[in-house]
Amino acid sequence: MKKTIQIPLGSQHISLLEPIRFKFECENEKIIGVDADVGFVHRGVELACTRSFEFKQVGYVVARVCGLCAITHSLSYTLAVEKLLGYVANDRIKYLRMLMVELDRIHSHMLCLAHTAENAGFEALFMQIMGDRELIMDVQEAISGNRVQFDYISIGGVNRDLTPELVAMIHKNLGVLTSKIDALIGLFDNNWSLSLKYKGVGVLRLEDAYTYNALGPLARAAGLATDVRAETSDFPYEDIGYKMILESSGDIHARNFLRLREIVNSITMCQNIVNNLPVGEIQEKAKGKPNGEAVVRVEAPRGELFYLVRGSGQNMLDRVRIKTPTFSAIPAMIEVFKGAEYADAPAILASFDPCMSCTAK
Amino acid sequence: MKFFTPFRKKSPWVLHYNAGSCNGCDIEILASLAPKYDLERFGVINTGNPKQSDIFLVTGPVTYRSRERLVELYSQIPEPKVVVAVGSCTATGGVFRGMYNVEDGIDRYIPVDVYVPGCAASPQLIIDALVKGLEVLEAKSKEIEKPFKLFGAIETIHNKLSRLNMATKVEPHAKD
Repeated sequence: MKKTIQIPLGSQHISLLEPIRFKFECENEKIIGVDADVGFVHRGVELACTRSFEFKQVGYVVARVCGLCAITHSLSYTLAVEKLLGYVANDRIKYLRMLMVELDRIHSHMLCLAHTAENAGFEALFMQIMGDRELIMDVQEAISGNRVQFDYISIGGVNRDLTPELVAMIHKNLGVLTSKIDALIGLFDNNWSLSLKYKGVGVLRLEDAYTYNALGPLARAAGLATDVRAETSDFPYEDIGYKMILESSGDIHARNFLRLREIVNSITMCQNIVNNLPVGEIQEKAKGKPNGEAVVRVEAPRGELFYLVRGSGQNMLDRVRIKTPTFSAIPAMIEVFKGAEYADAPAILASFDPCMSCTAK
Repeated sequence: MKFFTPFRKKSPWVLHYNAGSCNGCDIEILASLAPKYDLERFGVINTGNPKQSDIFLVTGPVTYRSRERLVELYSQIPEPKVVVAVGSCTATGGVFRGMYNVEDGIDRYIPVDVYVPGCAASPQLIIDALVKGLEVLEAKSKEIEKPFKLFGAIETIHNKLSRLNMATKVEPHAKD
């Protein structure tokens, strides 16, 4: 007789924001095998970028790959095209781009924390974090004009400038958020019922993180020092106070804690950017058509985002290849699920912060 | 039916399904449930169970693999029900219109009552759409509503309409 039972999770489930299907092979309560199906939201963006849209429009199309990290998608694409055009942005443009990316990272991490809390059964904490997150959403709306899909970055610059009122608002909201995050750090560290759900659950060991190519917060929570912000020199991250943040235990608690500490670091970076904003134009002419091949890596909230853009001197590109962090991290995720209790599966899944729209494109 | 109408109006339950959206509208739906916009003050609860839902919030242009699930979820929701299409791409396909794996809007598959524009639709608009949807819900009757494509027959068993076969899998239509 067969000793295991199969339990599906998804494709539509209350704990999932987006369709993904897991087939858990369970022995009593323990998960011993996992099968993941991620292709429900495949739309065909990569092909459309080379067939239906000109290279100047593609930056706004790839932003629609993912609503959470839209800014990193348009940023990586824009960087790749600017490399092909031989254009180097001035410092003010770089700083404004970094500001939006870090704000996006804060709100994405907070959404993940809220979601993890909800899936661990802590509904009130979900509401609290989502309420605090609105501080960042307000800042983003004031800077770019839209809450989520802000088409802020364009080839040759950014679309809007900071005004003194905006700077005051950023300082005010970030100041309020800092105290709230401090309170959350205490809560996540000391709350007894949260520690039951998080500590020692869903552990990814360092050697597994290395073997299965974990990325972003998932890898850094296991102690693997990988961060594109430290590895590339497209942006002056060292100047604005970037610190690599590492945890060692690799469980859900470590991932949550890492995200909280990254939020604190990102808030510091945003404040430094706003205080030390260089003078210059926000939009410059980037002339020509992309010719050749360029590869760009940018640290998205979930890890390394990889873009390859190839053009042959025409309006239409030849190839746009997008490799997203969740796609690369799936083997590591599957490894974490093995040996866990089935009841913990939604919380573990939320702590990965998976983005299926990115993965399936 | 008459007895339940006031309760439904006071406390509509919402089923949310992502049929291929970019997550932008989904996080705005979450944000509209959260404290600042607070849909829950209208009695709205996000439920994962189609059989307990009154309002079907759909985001995203329908992708090839999500359309069967969309139709199945729709046919499992008991009448009266309201479908709200959140976001530009849900209404018309938006930026994804014409991509090879996309069906250009959910109204090819299921009847839509309220369309919400915007990429991404803002929480204020989503709240407006739900309030509008409640008006539509009040005017609706118990009559069975059918999806346009991909559903099985509705039969009469013992003089009662049965939709047991409604969600059975039928041959997919060719892309038109």
